Amino acid sequence: MEGSRVETSSAAAETPVVISVENIRKSYGSFEVLRGISTEIREKDVTCIVGPSGGGKSTFIRTLNGLEPINEGRIRILDYTLPGWRKETEQLRRSVGMVFQSFNLFMHLTVRENITLGPTAALKVSRDEANARAERLLDRVGIGNQVDKYPGQLSGGQQQRVAIARALAMEPKIMLFDEPTSALDPEMVKEVLEVIRDLAASGMTMLVVTHEMGFAREVAHRVFFMADGVLSVDADPETFFASPKDERHAAFLSKVL
Amino acid sequence: MNFEIQHLVNNYPLILQGLLVTLRICAASLAIGTVLGLVACFMKLEGRGWPYRFAVAYIDFFRTIPEVVLIFWVYSCLPLLFSFRLTAEASGILALSLFASAYLAEIFRAGINSASRGQVQAALALGIPVRVIWMRIIMPPAIRRMMPALISFLSELIKATSLLSAIGVAEMAYQASVLGSKTFAYVEFLSAIAVLYFVTIFPLSLYVRRTNQKLAGKAGH
Repeated sequence: MEGSRVETSSAAAETPVVISVENIRKSYGSFEVLRGISTEIREKDVTCIVGPSGGGKSTFIRTLNGLEPINEGRIRILDYTLPGWRKETEQLRRSVGMVFQSFNLFMHLTVRENITLGPTAALKVSRDEANARAERLLDRVGIGNQVDKYPGQLSGGQQQRVAIARALAMEPKIMLFDEPTSALDPEMVKEVLEVIRDLAASGMTMLVVTHEMGFAREVAHRVFFMADGVLSVDADPETFFASPKDERHAAFLSKVL
Repeated sequence: MNFEIQHLVNNYPLILQGLLVTLRICAASLAIGTVLGLVACFMKLEGRGWPYRFAVAYIDFFRTIPEVVLIFWVYSCLPLLFSFRLTAEASGILALSLFASAYLAEIFRAGINSASRGQVQAALALGIPVRVIWMRIIMPPAIRRMMPALISFLSELIKATSLLSAIGVAEMAYQASVLGSKTFAYVEFLSAIAVLYFVTIFPLSLYVRRTNQKLAGKAGH
């Protein structure tokens, strides 16, 4: 795993930029959650975003598919721009998968329906093709035998894997993970991280908000540190975990390592 | 006092006719009330602006005034204000529709508000069109959750139709009281319709009780 990371990391320099964030700001009332964030993400980059709670990590990742509208600045993702028209935002979302902390599965639909709804309703994929994708993806995330169950019948770890399969069924170019293991019982964290790790190894462009430092160190090409609405550190994992850039970063590392 | 079943045997077609009118009025007010209630519900869901304020006032108003007053008002005052006269049954349907719309608006709103924000966001994140999100993600669970309240309200509405006897609509309670005054067999006729109301409404109550228990059981997990 170590070796493959270094390899993709060096290749990353030549791959095209797929996300470009230009000085975005976001406020809730008078409280500014994102205070001018700019960055670029290249194809196949695996970026972990870490930092203290309330620092704006989740808000940031949710701006990238327009779930959180921004007040200032601009985001370019693939061929789309945010803020944009609703149709364009819908198009963007079809190419950018998202996995939530609380799974957010459709509880009244079966696992199969959870996964096929997006492709059939948004991409006009045929029912047969959508079913084939669902079965293939469930096998890939290791729960191929649960296809006709309801989410309520599954464990948290299984539900999160369904949520990942649901996002992947859209065949996205980019995947966003918003604290995918924070709501899980400890014994289920590993099975979900394994799925995400495999996805990273397959070359998917990913942003992962996480508190799992071991995972960030092992899988990420880049690690972002966000605190107080500012993206203050952007480094490769070795540098990130070995040489803190400022006091805030050092204080954070001393708490989590 | 003897209970003379013969009165019922002789006159049951009128009572059944009354029951039919009762059900017809219910169906009509439920249909019109649903349309008006949906409009009021979505205006109130806006949360601000004049449609919101109008909807809040509308719902509060029609939930506050007694149904009898509303019925008399529509029947007696509307023709004075506008120069047209509705039949008694149409006035009754209009009054009950207004009454129903205010209650239904609140039931619909509660159901829609109970939709999971997280699920809606997940659907948005998949790029699913808003119309489909309403039809596949928001409405099915919302309808399931509002069924008990809807069915309880339907029982209330069935009971409220009996008030229309006051303006001479030939529904079941009216038929019973007219037959009673003609034959002096009040006990027979009024008991008979009490039983008929019970038979109509009690299964609905049972359904509500059963569903609420099921929902409570689910929430307990």
